[in-house]
Amino acid sequence: MSGHVDYFRALETPRLARLSHNLVAAAFPLMKLMPARYILDRAEACGELKAGAHIVETTSGTFGMALALLAAARGYLLTLVTASSLIDATYKARLERIGATVIAIDDPRGDGNQPGRLDCLQTILMSDPECFWTRQYDSPRNWLAYARLAEFLVRAMGKVDCLVGCIGTGGSLCGTGTFLRTLFPDLKIVAVDTHRSILFGQPAGKRMLRGLGNSVLPANVRHDLIDEIHWVGAYPAYMAAHQLLRLHGLFQGPTSGAAALVAQWVAKTYPDAQVAVIMPDEGHRHADTVYNDQWLAALPGWPCEQPSVPTTLSRIMPATESEWTRFSWQRRSLDDVLATQSLR
Amino acid sequence: MTGAGDVAQRPEPPPTGGPATRIGTGRAIAHHGELVQGVFEDDNGRLHRALVTLPLARLQSEATFTRTNAAAVRVRPQHRTKAAEAARLTLAHLGFPGAGGALSIASAIPVGHGYGSSTADVVASIRATAAAYDVKLRASSVSRIAVAAEGASDAIAYEDQAVLFAQREGIVVEELGGALPALLVVGFKANGGQPIDTLRLTPARYSSEEIQLFRVLRGLASRAVRLQDPYLLGRAATISAQISQHHLPKQHFNIALDIANRNGACGVQVAHSGSLIGIILDLSEKGAHQKATAIAEAASDIGFKDVEIHRVNEEAGR
Repeated sequence: MSGHVDYFRALETPRLARLSHNLVAAAFPLMKLMPARYILDRAEACGELKAGAHIVETTSGTFGMALALLAAARGYLLTLVTASSLIDATYKARLERIGATVIAIDDPRGDGNQPGRLDCLQTILMSDPECFWTRQYDSPRNWLAYARLAEFLVRAMGKVDCLVGCIGTGGSLCGTGTFLRTLFPDLKIVAVDTHRSILFGQPAGKRMLRGLGNSVLPANVRHDLIDEIHWVGAYPAYMAAHQLLRLHGLFQGPTSGAAALVAQWVAKTYPDAQVAVIMPDEGHRHADTVYNDQWLAALPGWPCEQPSVPTTLSRIMPATESEWTRFSWQRRSLDDVLATQSLR
Repeated sequence: MTGAGDVAQRPEPPPTGGPATRIGTGRAIAHHGELVQGVFEDDNGRLHRALVTLPLARLQSEATFTRTNAAAVRVRPQHRTKAAEAARLTLAHLGFPGAGGALSIASAIPVGHGYGSSTADVVASIRATAAAYDVKLRASSVSRIAVAAEGASDAIAYEDQAVLFAQREGIVVEELGGALPALLVVGFKANGGQPIDTLRLTPARYSSEEIQLFRVLRGLASRAVRLQDPYLLGRAATISAQISQHHLPKQHFNIALDIANRNGACGVQVAHSGSLIGIILDLSEKGAHQKATAIAEAASDIGFKDVEIHRVNEEAGR
């Protein structure tokens, strides 16, 4: 555990912050290193990933950053396929400086053009038989990697009663939750999503809050693990991120803000429960936006009143970017929940 | 294997006669299987088969080593060949390869159920041999010699100190942070009490999911030892036992688990290469002995063999 030189293992390890008497935050610098490193380690050990080979993935987020850093350090070629609507020039330039090739395909509909991205990825895979696709959406290695986070939380907290985290690929929350629930079968798992993400039955649409939610459904999202789902709009997430900095000195991204907002409410609602919340990344990438007053002032309807409690929905529906809603999921499958919704 | 740091005290050369110590005795304790056993990653990312032993101080093996001028080590009972090998390796470790002696072993530990009778004989023999040269070996040296003598060993050289021990390498993967908490263990034998030939067992092949789960169990065991929490320890043991069911199933394990749950026990542990099952209770808890009696009766009624109540790490004088 200690005294060993391994930069990326250290960088993937969260710092724990106590936000209240019963709430511990696992604040990551770059959480996606955990699955990226595990996926590459296992693929190397199994011979699926050969020295100097070509790695591909479709991502516009921090998983791409994690892969870029590891590929640079381990001598792999890396191609990241994204959509022009999803990646800003600064982030693209940063990935390219690390050595990654970034292909940003056209996105005329503005929905991320996932089919187009997958076509592009398949073309690359066909052209190079040694090419390795990390498959963060459906590889079980994504969620298996989070045993490290579960171990880390257990060493620090012992029994965990409630786990709160964002959901995008499902890896972090469903992985950590699977392992913790094996230990503690009564563990309550609370997922944090955003309006117009399709993961928990909302219709697809334009999402302002990036880094959580999805317009496609990854296999690593395990609905039957989830007790409760919250949809947080961009504005409450931004304000919660600001509060993390002001009240706790934690400089985290807006998805961490969304997770903290929900977790603080959960911890207040269940004062006898030990609550853990996963905060996926730091605020640096958002310095010119979420942490920039001019950028914020230009947002329609900003500032809004920060909701202190979520609105409980009986029917799943989208809301505005200033709202926060929740729905009691009760460890059901997506189909089961959707069936009850259509009856109404 | 001999290094200056391994020997706590430099031995004198073997005397050619005279009054110096010529007879050494050594004891070693049994165990009641393991609290956790699986595959674990070290700091370098390498995987090791390792375990956390549940020590059982009441059952012991005692060895006596008498230095002789013979050129070989002789052992009684004669079939304790691993113990004799351990004595030879100890002599080599002490710097006297090929020295002779008479080793005798008297053990109260039943064979073939997961009580670790073989390792206890080996460890007692190592300690007796070293004692005949006025040397007290460290637990790390004893463990390495034991593994060299018998291929796979357990962690009883560490007595009540909880360690995650690589049983085929003789090294500690993690010191869990002190002694185990005081426990009551209601132990019994599954599978009709039939012994298992541990030498014929092939090592379990664990899935990626099991290996990742072991990581979390290790964290839980470490937390449990550090905070002296028998319930967290029992939880880690139960999950390890459930994984073991996929590899070396014990009949009616789920009945034992049900008895444990119904009686508010901390958990259930097994001998991962034996027939033992143990239901774990918090010895410091009020009413623990009544719980143990109720559990023992339930286990007997269901048909488990040789039901016994063991005290683990009880403080002296209590």
